[in-house]
Amino acid sequence: MNNQSPGSLLFSNPITEWFAGAGRTTRTTLEHAGGLGLLFWQIVLAMARLKVSLRSILNQMYIMGIQSLPIVLVTGSLAGIVTSQQGGYQMTSAMPSYVLGSLVVETVVLEMGPVLTALVLVGRIGARITAELGTMVVSEQIDAFRSLGRDPVEILAAPRVIAGVLVLPLLVGIADVIGIFAGVAAANITADLSSEAFFYGARLFWHSWDLVYSLTKAVIFGLTIPLISVHMGLKTKGGAEGVGITTTQAVMFMTLTILILDAMFPPLMLN
Amino acid sequence: MIEYRNIHKAFDLPVLSGIDMCVETGEMFALFGSSGTGKSVLLKTTIGLVAPDIGDVEVDGISVYRGGREAVQTVRKKVGYVFQHSALFDSLNVFDNVTMGVPEDVLACMSRKESAAKVWAALELVNLEPREILSKIPSELSGGMKKRVGIARAIIGRPEILLWDEPTTGLDPINTAAVERLIQRLSNELQVTSLLVTHDVEGGLVMCDRVAMLDSGTLRFCGTPDEFRACPDPVVQAFVNRAAAEAALDMASESYD
Repeated sequence: MNNQSPGSLLFSNPITEWFAGAGRTTRTTLEHAGGLGLLFWQIVLAMARLKVSLRSILNQMYIMGIQSLPIVLVTGSLAGIVTSQQGGYQMTSAMPSYVLGSLVVETVVLEMGPVLTALVLVGRIGARITAELGTMVVSEQIDAFRSLGRDPVEILAAPRVIAGVLVLPLLVGIADVIGIFAGVAAANITADLSSEAFFYGARLFWHSWDLVYSLTKAVIFGLTIPLISVHMGLKTKGGAEGVGITTTQAVMFMTLTILILDAMFPPLMLN
Repeated sequence: MIEYRNIHKAFDLPVLSGIDMCVETGEMFALFGSSGTGKSVLLKTTIGLVAPDIGDVEVDGISVYRGGREAVQTVRKKVGYVFQHSALFDSLNVFDNVTMGVPEDVLACMSRKESAAKVWAALELVNLEPREILSKIPSELSGGMKKRVGIARAIIGRPEILLWDEPTTGLDPINTAAVERLIQRLSNELQVTSLLVTHDVEGGLVMCDRVAMLDSGTLRFCGTPDEFRACPDPVVQAFVNRAAAEAALDMASESYD
């Protein structure tokens, strides 16, 4: 005799289970999309009402910018060096060697600088923000802000998001420059290409739009990282385990979003 | 006066099921109940920190859930909330933590000197020595000190209502007695309405004018401390004395076996 309830029978069917899973995923995605949209709108309102403390923004800019500078310098340099070495290796005698300059500059400015800097900041800043706000949620500090008539979006979310938008283009600019000079040095050592030849090749294929493209990416990534990390942090449930789970989810979410956005840029801005 | 009207709340499973309760102005009211029966959730519905699925809360005639954002802000200004684990802001020192208790619009009109004097007075009111702790951050304070700083933050804005969420949890007996005395003294001195969620039944029965008990999300008892002690309900009795609690446990384990 079958003792299963009608509900368990319904969900024991693989097809209905698949649909149930798809439904849950869709609902979660829509909830996050709605939550991110609402958070963004609340931040815009807080800015319009001049409710965001300049001191908090500067503090966050220091944490995101100055404190991230060493890792950004290392990442930028390595991006330039690796691109230069790989490019030099693949160059054939049929191609003038100064083309390597163009290859390195375009790769660093268009791709490696913005994306690697963003991915580094996902780990360094995004995870930190999610864990920090998640801990504040589970220790009732967010409730305490609300109980005192303060808006956590104005105090915690807005300064982080504004700082991200302002700081990331600066960091990407620095990563681009350091990446190019590291590329020059690597080209000189590994491909025996002089700096004059390198920059000659770089100038041949350079468009000012490339810099606009690079910095636009940086602004969008600078908005995405703190926005997602704040959103996820404020949605944390449970205790220490909840903070860990949410932080991992946030890092995955931010990384995927950065890569998807990166794939959307060329058709939107380069064609 | 705080009125809870038909409060229902569920997080996957039902937590509160149709709570109707009233705390009169100037009254000191204790809410008892086992862990997980929804006491803190009910307390949080008072100022809109947790929205009920059904029902409404009125604070001095203001509807928290029908009045919109303005109503919630007005109610929050009237209420001081003492959190179970103090909920002090980690990154701020004691001075800044307590200053956060002053409503934003009032703080904007105050000089730094005036706000410092207010913080100083609030800390003295909770028997803390301001000079010694003003610049300390929460991680440098003991559990009892954190509780007191949390209380100072709740009372600095001169609220009309104080909500206490298990203020003595995690404290040693001496600090528990000290905090209970403080609660009683502050409630009298500041002439506030107090709603106290606690597991310390004896303390609650001694301090409060009326008490209530939640059990499985419903209101099991509401009355005076004497009525509570005399109540024949075995669940209530299990809270009043240890022997009854042991008997209830034995019965539960027998039925489990």
